[in-house]
Amino acid sequence: MEALRAYLALVGFGENGWGKALLTATAMTCAVAVAGFLTGSIIGTLVAWAKLSRSPLLRGFGTTYTTVLRGIPDLLVIYLLYFGGSAALGTVAGFFSSDGFIGMPAFVTGMLAIGIVSGAYQAEVLRGAFLATPRGEIEAAKAVGMRAGTMLRRIVAPLVLRLALPGLGNTWQLVLKETALISVTGLVELLRQSQIAAGSTRRPFEFYFTAILLYLAITWVSTLLFRRAEDRTMRGLRRAA
Amino acid sequence: MDPIFMWETFKVLLGGLPLTLNLAATSVLIGGVLGLLLALGALAGGRPARAFVAAYVFVFRGSPLLVQIFLIYYGLGQFRPALQAMGLWGILREPYWCAIIALSLNTAAYSSEILRGGFRAVTIQQIEAGRACGMSGLLLMRRIVMPIALRHALPAYGNEIILMVKATALASIITLMEVTGLAGKLIAETFRAVEVFVVAGAIYLSLNFALSWALSRLEHRLTPHLRPRPVPFAKVSPHA
Amino acid sequence: MPESSPAEDAVPVVALDNLHKSYGGLEVLKGISLSAKQGEVVSILGSSGSGKSTMLRCINMLEVPSGGTVSIAGEPIAMRRRGTGLEPADKRQLSRMRSEVGMVFQSFNLWSHMTILENVIEAPVHVQRRPRAECIEEARALLARVGLADKHDHYPGHLSGGQQQRAAIARALAQRPKVMLFDEPTSALDPELVGEVLRVMRSLAEEGRTMLVVTHEMAFARDVSSRVVFLHQGCIEEEGCPQEVFARPASQRLKQFLSGHQA
Repeated sequence: MEALRAYLALVGFGENGWGKALLTATAMTCAVAVAGFLTGSIIGTLVAWAKLSRSPLLRGFGTTYTTVLRGIPDLLVIYLLYFGGSAALGTVAGFFSSDGFIGMPAFVTGMLAIGIVSGAYQAEVLRGAFLATPRGEIEAAKAVGMRAGTMLRRIVAPLVLRLALPGLGNTWQLVLKETALISVTGLVELLRQSQIAAGSTRRPFEFYFTAILLYLAITWVSTLLFRRAEDRTMRGLRRAA
Repeated sequence: MDPIFMWETFKVLLGGLPLTLNLAATSVLIGGVLGLLLALGALAGGRPARAFVAAYVFVFRGSPLLVQIFLIYYGLGQFRPALQAMGLWGILREPYWCAIIALSLNTAAYSSEILRGGFRAVTIQQIEAGRACGMSGLLLMRRIVMPIALRHALPAYGNEIILMVKATALASIITLMEVTGLAGKLIAETFRAVEVFVVAGAIYLSLNFALSWALSRLEHRLTPHLRPRPVPFAKVSPHA
Repeated sequence: MPESSPAEDAVPVVALDNLHKSYGGLEVLKGISLSAKQGEVVSILGSSGSGKSTMLRCINMLEVPSGGTVSIAGEPIAMRRRGTGLEPADKRQLSRMRSEVGMVFQSFNLWSHMTILENVIEAPVHVQRRPRAECIEEARALLARVGLADKHDHYPGHLSGGQQQRAAIARALAQRPKVMLFDEPTSALDPELVGEVLRVMRSLAEEGRTMLVVTHEMAFARDVSSRVVFLHQGCIEEEGCPQEVFARPASQRLKQFLSGHQA
């Protein structure tokens, strides 16, 4: 069909096709998502540890962190980091007598914003997984004389990760979708690139539609990978269904 | 932290609250009904119905809400002449209605999954007992299946409502001045990101707490059968 | 047992005629014909896989037979062809007949989100459309009858198995049924709770209720029923009054079964 051919020319890799740009932007989306997710994993582990600790102060901090960051829109966190960070940078630059607006590097902003919010969700997943690990298996490790470090590495971490995997898969999906919000900082990930292309060609429908297809593709591949990881780690375990 | 500035900020942001609540409530309502229809369709319909619902859920849960909003707000604008001919342009050019449509379609996908989970929790025994005394179809649905399914779905659905309140923030990107929109504008103008963030965050958190409280009260009222039976005060007198 | 007039004797309350039931290739009921008259208590025995529960569940169409007819008080349940099997043809008739047949399940199946009282009035109010006040009054009387008067506002989850089953019996009675079906009513109960349920069932038998009971409780079958039916692999192997069947079992398989389940 004529319309189909026109569409493929638009998003393809030909003369005026935006295909290459879109794929590059998709790669950027994945990059900032992975960076943000890993940042979130580090933060999440620390916050989960705080929430599980004996100190009421640490527990309070952990609870505050998860409550606040899961309770406010991600966009606000992005605004805070982008504008707040730029203001801070501007002040710092001011010491070196440089004027003007210094925008926060978009990738770093995105990574941090995603990481800070995702950390709250991952903390909850990890905490839940830890509480659900069978105490008996940890006791057995103590009984054979394992030291704390070894026990953490060989017994606790694998057990917790196995239980946390489904929940972490969900938080990964959230991270993927949040990357679209980073477009407000100007980072050229998939949505921003679609916006640029849409503006340039005045065909927003084709590009946003394509963007959705590309996001769905990433989602689908992610789901497959997580499911495979779940199957491998659940070897030797009988599940309800 | 300048308290005067924060107070002024608070007054400005409060002006966006009605729109935030409006967007959230309207889309939850429309999306909830749509989600129920999808869940019932998947339950009662044949394979094509289930396939459609599965595809719908995949599309709306697998792509960012912001892209869905852009597709409807900017994307549909491309078909302006056709839409004008159909008389739909009046609605579809309004950012408000585009946001409502996108938010509703999005929450419908999540709601349908939550409700399907609720339906799965209705055991065959309870249905059989209903059938055995002559109930069928609508009566069975109304008196047995729906009450059990809804009670089961309530925690997850309450969570979804809270997520929807947060999601309304995205409407600011298509020019709607709800709380986040006003906050963004203030930050861009004054560069006092931290203070505005704190005030805006506090507003959302308060909304959150109020909703959570209301939901837990509702849960409490609807599920006395899941708690141990309260012992009357007189019976626990220490004086035997 | 109360005297029944010849006219009442004429039409059986439940009549199964040449009932067949297959699941795919497996035939579970192979031509069962059985009838129960007013006031009869029929105990249905058999080992697992004999089809006794399936037969009972065919009476109120919780299982749909593949062949044969089911009649309640002389009225056959209308059936029609569907694909390779049958289905009830008239939904209204089915609903009406189900509300005239009281069923007590092995796992009680009380509605967990309603109190006991609400469970008991549910069918009378919403299926039989009787006035609510009248149903509540009757429900209270029935709950008192089964020994649960003070538990009317309890939820099923707060009661013991025996209490739940007695409540389930009250629920079935509230429909003013023509016949009561019991599907292994005590099999899911702890041994010490079985007695209280059997006592209620016995009192129902003594007041002349028509009951069909699938059970493993041999003492009940021998002492309370007016007739015993022994099923084996989908057929009625032997049938008769309890004194005959228990004391002088004719078939080999029944002898084996009885020796395995000492009464």
